Amino acid sequence: MVQVTLGGGELIRARRYRWLFLLVPALALSCGEAFAALQTANSSAGPQRLASHTVIDGVGRQVKIPANVDRIVSLAPNLTETLYALGLGERIVGDTNYCDVPPEAKAKPHVGAPVNPSIEAIVAQRPDLVFATTSINRPETVDALTRLGIPVYTTDPHTVRGMIDSFGRIADLVGAEKQGSALTASLNARLGALHARLATLPTIRVLFVVWLDPLITIGQNTFIADALQWAGAESVVVSQQNWPQLSFEEVVRLQPDYLVFAASHPGEGGVTAKGLRSQPVWKDLRAVQQGHVAIISDEIDRPDPGLIDAIEQLAHELHPDAFKPDAAPAGSSSKASRERVAFRAFGKKSEIAPQGLKPLMKGRWVMSDLKVRPPKDRLFSANYLRDDARLESGLTTRCCECAH
Amino acid sequence: MRTLTARRVIGACAMLLGVLFVVVVISLRMGAFPLSVRDIVATLFNGVLGRRERIPSEFALVVFGLRLPRIALGILVGAALSTAGAGFQALLRNPLADPYVLGVSSGAALGAILSLIFIPHVPGAIQAAAFVGAAATITAVYFLGRRGGQLDSATLLLAGIVAASFLSAGIMFLMTTLPGRDLRGMAFWLMGDLSSPPPTQNVRAWFVFLFVVFAIAAGAIYLTASDLNLILTGEKEAQHLGVNVHRVKLVVYISASLLTGLAVSVSGAIGYIGLLVPHAMRMLFGNDYRLLIPTSALGGAIAIVVADTLARTVVAPTELPVGAMTALAGAPVFIYLLRRRVR
Repeated sequence: MVQVTLGGGELIRARRYRWLFLLVPALALSCGEAFAALQTANSSAGPQRLASHTVIDGVGRQVKIPANVDRIVSLAPNLTETLYALGLGERIVGDTNYCDVPPEAKAKPHVGAPVNPSIEAIVAQRPDLVFATTSINRPETVDALTRLGIPVYTTDPHTVRGMIDSFGRIADLVGAEKQGSALTASLNARLGALHARLATLPTIRVLFVVWLDPLITIGQNTFIADALQWAGAESVVVSQQNWPQLSFEEVVRLQPDYLVFAASHPGEGGVTAKGLRSQPVWKDLRAVQQGHVAIISDEIDRPDPGLIDAIEQLAHELHPDAFKPDAAPAGSSSKASRERVAFRAFGKKSEIAPQGLKPLMKGRWVMSDLKVRPPKDRLFSANYLRDDARLESGLTTRCCECAH
Repeated sequence: MRTLTARRVIGACAMLLGVLFVVVVISLRMGAFPLSVRDIVATLFNGVLGRRERIPSEFALVVFGLRLPRIALGILVGAALSTAGAGFQALLRNPLADPYVLGVSSGAALGAILSLIFIPHVPGAIQAAAFVGAAATITAVYFLGRRGGQLDSATLLLAGIVAASFLSAGIMFLMTTLPGRDLRGMAFWLMGDLSSPPPTQNVRAWFVFLFVVFAIAAGAIYLTASDLNLILTGEKEAQHLGVNVHRVKLVVYISASLLTGLAVSVSGAIGYIGLLVPHAMRMLFGNDYRLLIPTSALGGAIAIVVADTLARTVVAPTELPVGAMTALAGAPVFIYLLRRRVR
């Protein structure tokens, strides 16, 4: 393909053109001159506020918050929904293409998709403050905006409580303390009510299906894992990865009590218990045969106030008896309940009363990074049950289920 | 084939420079922030004259802070990749060779991922780690690709391909087994992305540094251009005509790898440019490397600026990775050139 037809004379002459590459450094230097303007352009950008304060955001960065935050750009659907819930919708001057809750959010100027928004479009809105979240935005976007002198506050909630706290902080930042404390108080009250009903009930082992093909579930550090706990359930998979891929064999071995899907789950016309029963491998799962498939609101995927709705919905699905009119909230003096309170107070799995956790750890199967909670039948024989009220009650239910 | 004269070289380069200038002005004009050509000309004019107080601060931010650095990075990366591609095509005497054929991009990507895992949130760490990864790969492939103490084209090509697939497998392993936090950016990086900000506050010094490294490496390849012409007719023949084949190959190998490492570390693996642009330039201007190298550099710059402008605007305000755009727009253009030549 590559061929050359050159005479010897030209070869000698060719040396004359060697000076050409000298043009390149010259070009480089002139480009450099053009960029000299950049430095000052950057430093003079944006009007200087008189009073402002510096806060530490969810990822530990220092963010300078202007005195008045009148123009907000939200870089994630959950942040947009939170801002609306705080009554700050009017101050939003830009959101993402995916922001559709509440419907008014769709009418706001969009700055692109959360993963790759247009920095220019954000700049064009002249925001006082930009909100971002680690769960969907890229750190590069935050860096680029910060470089241009635009303050970006990043939230990084991993638990439901942490998420509610972040609502309060967002409200404080923009001078909406009242709305913030009202919202957090009401959400906390709803969680408290759920907890009162579910504290003594058995924990249901669920498989939360993020994606069917390939099969992707949630890791222990996601807020969804924590949301499941509030609904009286726990994920059968324990993984450091946030969105671990799971082999189907593992699911068969684990035999979760329930499968949980978000409503807009991929697949033709969504997932139904009936649909799964006709699918080759799925139909052999115990949970599918028993019709234990919970399809809940998409809000479960979004760390915003609507998540609490999804938690309540899931709790109703998994523990229908607890919500019957005659079911009185359980007494909070039992041991199991106290354990849960301690657990909630710290909001982290590792903070569960230690003697409750240790036996569980022993029972985990370690497969590279994927740790998996063993099915309960395995727990039965060993000494795992010592002191663990939650597991004990879990086993009782299983027996009841077998009976009917 | 027509004789190569200074006039032809200068004429071709001047024409491409003109096209590049027009493309840059159009690219400056396009984007989510509305700016008229007049705004841009006034902003540039005032910027060059140092009258910054006359520029509205948002214009300055968009033109000097966002669009110009991105265009400059595009020019640099495009020129580096195309020059490296032309160099590798001659070195390996294989028309399918591109800057990534020897595994440089996979090595750089592995370095970048490792930096995201071990030292996240350090500015410049990704670029530095990517460059170290590229350099390590280049060194390893060099030693694997030698035969009898000399670089052997076929062995080098095989060694590079094996290294590339081995490193890609390593990347896949890391991406599927490690906690996924900051690896989201990696998908963009692997497709090539010009939107990342420069790693330092001193943008000017950063670009001068990049362009100087580029000039040294591209200059070294250009110096071997007439020797490359002879090597393409056959290594033995070139040897008989007095060309130090081993030295030329070494210079081209190191310089082209350096250019690729430079491009990959600042923008990720942007595909197609390094393969298509040198071939397109061959079809337009002929096979002589003394003309092919400067025209490839300019052509690559034009191609990336065009592709990135499209990437910023087709689905605005969302941005596509530029690598997706180069393949999408590059392939049809290339096929057109190919068919035209056949006829």
